[in-house]
Amino acid sequence: MIVVENLTKSYGSKKAVDNLSFSVTPGRVTGFLGPNGSGKSTTMRCMLGLDKPDAGVATFDGRKYADIESPLKHVGSLLDAGDAHKGRTARNHLRWIAMTNGIGASRVDAVLQMVGMQDAARTRVGKFSLGMRQRLGLAVALLGDPKVVILDEPANGLDPEGIRWTRDVMRHLANEGRSVLVSSHQLVELSLVADDLIVIGQGKLISSGPIGNFMTQHAKTWVRVVSPQFDALAALVTAQGGTVERTPDGGDFHAVSAITVGNIAAANNIVLHELSPQTGSLEEAFLDATDASVEYRGQSTTTNVWDAPQP
Amino acid sequence: MIGVLKSELFKLRTTRATIIVATCSVLLPAIIFGLTSLFAFTNGEVGDSLASMVGNFAPLTGLLLGVVGVLCSTQEYSQGTIRITLVATPNRLKVFIAKLLTTFIVSVVSAWTMLLLCLLPSALILSFRDAEFVTIGSDIRILFSVVILSAFLSVLGLSLGLVFKSSPGAISALLLWPTILEGMVFGLLSVASGRNMMKFSPVQGNGFRLIAQYTDESNTWLVSLTYFSAFVAVFAVLGAVLFTRRDA
Repeated sequence: MIVVENLTKSYGSKKAVDNLSFSVTPGRVTGFLGPNGSGKSTTMRCMLGLDKPDAGVATFDGRKYADIESPLKHVGSLLDAGDAHKGRTARNHLRWIAMTNGIGASRVDAVLQMVGMQDAARTRVGKFSLGMRQRLGLAVALLGDPKVVILDEPANGLDPEGIRWTRDVMRHLANEGRSVLVSSHQLVELSLVADDLIVIGQGKLISSGPIGNFMTQHAKTWVRVVSPQFDALAALVTAQGGTVERTPDGGDFHAVSAITVGNIAAANNIVLHELSPQTGSLEEAFLDATDASVEYRGQSTTTNVWDAPQP
Repeated sequence: MIGVLKSELFKLRTTRATIIVATCSVLLPAIIFGLTSLFAFTNGEVGDSLASMVGNFAPLTGLLLGVVGVLCSTQEYSQGTIRITLVATPNRLKVFIAKLLTTFIVSVVSAWTMLLLCLLPSALILSFRDAEFVTIGSDIRILFSVVILSAFLSVLGLSLGLVFKSSPGAISALLLWPTILEGMVFGLLSVASGRNMMKFSPVQGNGFRLIAQYTDESNTWLVSLTYFSAFVAVFAVLGAVLFTRRDA
């Protein structure tokens, strides 16, 4: 179990992480979300002792990372897929890491096989695509068969098969009772695998808990209805306080529940072809939750900046 | 600790740049010395002992091994592997000591190899040429000085690498300070004070002097060794402090 308590880290006058507290439970995949510059990577680096926090502490099963003997056997991490010497082969890259924690060469070959890189074991890292480097980074994280896995953007640069494979790996690791903390910008992917979410903005905690709770709090919900008597139903629902948005084959009701709409239809003998509660995507919920804390915002494609003369 | 040491040695021998520079530090003097033995001394007399002449290559070998020391630390930063190194071994002092021992061992082995590759073939060549020569004679101190100078310069390189965190900066400092800047600074001080201040220059006046004959104005071997060791130790401590305290 990972516990982060009151973690604070500043670079000069800028507070990258501000009194952040959360926990990651074993047996669950925990997504770590936040806009660019929100402090996700800094938090991970502080957790692993790479950066020294100004205040607060991160513990793994009650121990600070620096106090863990052979830490790779307890905590596996992937921070940046580019962290490998370009002139070294994949196998040699894993071997020097394994040596530091007394991990045998047979485990190196095993993880290379696990990530599907046994054929590229003797190829120099400089010749790898980004996707292959991600797989090698995952191999590093899994090298010590750790109980805790921390992954920063593990699906970055992977093809669809690779993304699906990464998702399956995370699910498999959690099902084995390991704690998995994963930061990702691929929200659709994360929504498919994460059990819990930690959302931060400008270094502060915005939300923490099961993904369902986050969606309930931040995702829009509405009721989709398809009916040959839609106008009549719309009038009745509007009278009950709902709002209507027409679509080509029916419409969406907002501010009312599906039960209410169903009851109104039944009471008035209105035929329904579809009555389904709808929930917005994780992406919409994330944007809603972090809107106030976005630090770097691009220009809208509808503004004039995109129409500027070409050089 | 053994695992970290093995890992550092493995890292050094699996990177081409360090292998190339370390090989050059051994082979360049050996080739030059071999060619000298082959084509010079046409009158059949070799004035100095071979050991004394090999000592002249010590600065070259030492500075190249210093570059190996620089690469041992800066490649970690340029390639991003420093993060994995410190995640795998959170005790940074342990990592620093492992790097220090690794560069020390590599430079000692390289320096002895260079000496062997210079002395043995040259002795054979000169024997075939019926030249009169002394291989080591009373100059055994010079052989040990070559090894000490090489080891200390490699530690200096490692320390500069940890201070600068980039190869260009650290290599420039390693090469320019003893070859140009030190001469300028202590030369100006000598002119200003009217005394020979060069004997206070850490590398030229003491480090390189370890392999030279003494004059009345120079420091003794032991004083030079102490002075040069202290200079290297200052940078080693500075490198260790920065390495253990800075964010990776």
